[in-house]
Amino acid sequence: MPVNRSGASSVFAWLCPIVLVIALAATGVMLVLYGTTAPYAAYISMAGMAVALVLGGLYQASNVQVSRSLLTQLAKLSSLQNEYIEPEQFEQQLHQSKLPPQARRMILEIYQTLESDQDSIGALQQKSARSEVRAHLAESRVSEINCVIEGLTEPVIMVDQYGELALINPAAVTLMGMQDVAVGTRIDDALPCDSIVQLLNETRRRKLKSSRVAEIELADPAGEKHWYRITVNTVADDDNESGGESNFGAVAVMRDISGYKAIQRRNAEFVSAVSHEMKTPLAGIKAYTELLADGEAEDEETRDEFLGVISGQADRLQRLIDNLLNLARIEAGVVSVSKKPRSLNDLLDEAAAIVQPTAEQKNITLNVELSPMYLGVLADRDMILQAAINLLSNAIKYTPDGGKVTLRSRLSDREVHFEVEDTGVGLSPEDCEMVFEKFYRVKKDQKMASGTGLGLPLAKHIVEDVHGGTLTVKSELNHGSTFMIALPTVQVIEHAS
Amino acid sequence: MATKVLIADDEMHILRAAEFKLKRSGFDVTCVEDGQEAWEAIQVERPDILITDFHMPRMDGLMLCRTVRSNESTATLPIIMLTAKGFDLSGDDGTSELGIAAVLAKPFSPRGLVQCIQEVLETGTYVPNVATF
Repeated sequence: MPVNRSGASSVFAWLCPIVLVIALAATGVMLVLYGTTAPYAAYISMAGMAVALVLGGLYQASNVQVSRSLLTQLAKLSSLQNEYIEPEQFEQQLHQSKLPPQARRMILEIYQTLESDQDSIGALQQKSARSEVRAHLAESRVSEINCVIEGLTEPVIMVDQYGELALINPAAVTLMGMQDVAVGTRIDDALPCDSIVQLLNETRRRKLKSSRVAEIELADPAGEKHWYRITVNTVADDDNESGGESNFGAVAVMRDISGYKAIQRRNAEFVSAVSHEMKTPLAGIKAYTELLADGEAEDEETRDEFLGVISGQADRLQRLIDNLLNLARIEAGVVSVSKKPRSLNDLLDEAAAIVQPTAEQKNITLNVELSPMYLGVLADRDMILQAAINLLSNAIKYTPDGGKVTLRSRLSDREVHFEVEDTGVGLSPEDCEMVFEKFYRVKKDQKMASGTGLGLPLAKHIVEDVHGGTLTVKSELNHGSTFMIALPTVQVIEHAS
Repeated sequence: MATKVLIADDEMHILRAAEFKLKRSGFDVTCVEDGQEAWEAIQVERPDILITDFHMPRMDGLMLCRTVRSNESTATLPIIMLTAKGFDLSGDDGTSELGIAAVLAKPFSPRGLVQCIQEVLETGTYVPNVATF
C-alpha cells in the first residue's frame, strides 16, 4: 500500500523529471540549431541535471521526513494503545495527530479490526486458561486419588474392559506376593489368585452395571491365612456413553475380615460350649426323672439317690447360668462397680469362711496365713470376694481328700498380693496356658469335679479388667498349683490414723 | 446269656442312670470313665455293643471308634454315640465313615437308649424318633 506524502514532497516528485526533461530538451534544441559547436549546450544540460538532482534530493529528504513523522505519530498511537484507551478516545487522539487523513483512516481501520479481533482473542485466551486450570486440577485430583489408593491398606485391583490389569495398589501387590507388576497384561497371567481373577472377569463380562460381594480365604506371602470380603464393582467405559453396548471394566476392593470371622467363630464356639455345658446337667435331670416316673427306683434309698442327683444337677445348671450371666454382664460393663478402699484381709477372711465347710467335707486343711499389716485395696467388695471364692473352691475341688489348701496375703512395693496354693493334681504347661479360657476344663480332672469352666475366667476378668491387677498361675503336674493375684494398693488415711 | 454292653462316659451321673436302666432291662453292663479305659475294657470284656460319649479325657469318642475299627478283632463292634454335641454331629466329622450305628443326643431318655440298643443289635441301624433330636 503506497505511503501518502506531504504536499512539498509531491511537488519535488513532479518537478524533478520535468526539470530534467526541459534541460535535456533545451540541450537538444541547442545541438540542432548550432551543432556540436552550440554554445552553452553542455552548461545548460549540466545545469538541468543538477537542478533535477537537487529536486530529487529534496524529494528524498521530504520522504524521510514524512516517514519519521509517521513513525512518531504511530509511536504515540502505540503508546496510547499500550495504556488501553476507549475506541472514541483513540479516534480523538488519532484525529489530533499530524498524520495525513488517509493514514488516519487506514490506522483507524486497522485499530477497529484489531479491536474486534481483540475480543475474540480474549475469549479464546480465557477459554484456554480455563482449560489449563481444569487440566491442572484434574491432574492434581488424579494424583490425589492415586495417592489415596496407593496408601490404602485394603488391596485394590482394577481390570479394564479387555481383561487387562489397569491398576493394582501396593497392598494388593504385597498380598499377592507379586514380584513384577505389569499393568496392561491380562489378569489371568498377572494375578496369582484364580478366585479373584474369576470374580473380576465374571463381573466385567456381565455387560451391566453391577456389584457383587464374596468372601474368600487367602494366604499371605508368609503363609498366614486371612479372610477377605471382596466387593467387585463394574467400571463404566466413559468413551461409550453415547450409546451402543456398554463395555465394563471391574474394580475389586478387598477388606480383611479375619478379626470379624474370628469373633464369629468364637461366638459359635461359645454357644456350642454353653449348649454342651447345659445339656450335661439336663441329661442327668431328664434321665433320673424318667427313671423315677417309670417306677424303676423301687426302694426308697434308690429314689432318694435319684432325687439327690436331680437336685445336684439342677444346682449345677443354676451355677452355670449364674456364672454365665455374671461373666456376660461384667464383660459388657453393665454391672455397676462400686470400688472403695477396703481391707483385703477382711475380704479374704470372709471368703475362707464361706469355703471352709466344703474343705471340711473333703477333709482338706484350709490354712489362712494373712499378712499382719493392713492391706488396702480399692475394690468392689462382691467382685473380689467372688474371685477369692472361685480360686479357693477350685483349689478344694482339685485337691484330693486329706490335702491342703493355703491362702496367703502380703504387701509389696505398690501392690498387695494374695495367693491360693493347693496340694492338688497340678496342671501341665499346656493346661496352665488354657486354664483361664471359658469352659476349659483340665481333661484328666473332669471326673474329680463338676465345674462350669467359668470360675477362673470370671476371676481373671474381675481382677484384671475391673481392678487393674494380675492373676497368674504356676503349677507342677501332680504337685499342686498356686494362683497368684496382685492388686494396686491404696493408702487409707482413716486406717493410718 | 445276657448281651454285654460297655458304656464310656466321664459324667458319673450319666453312667449311673444308663447302667441302672440297662441292668434292669437285662443287659450285662460295664461302665468306664474315659476312652482309654474303654479300649482296655473292650479287649478284656469283649462287649456286644459299645455306647460312648464324644468328649472324654485321655481318649475321646472319635479316637476310641477309630481304634476299635482299626483293630481286626473289634472292627465290627456295633457303636452308639451318646453325646451332648447333638446336631453338630450331623456335619462331616467322620461319624459315618466310622460306622457308628446311631447317635443319641443328650439329654437322653433311658427308655430310648434301651430301644436303640435293641434295634441296633437286631438290624444294625437305628432310626431315631425325631423328637429325640
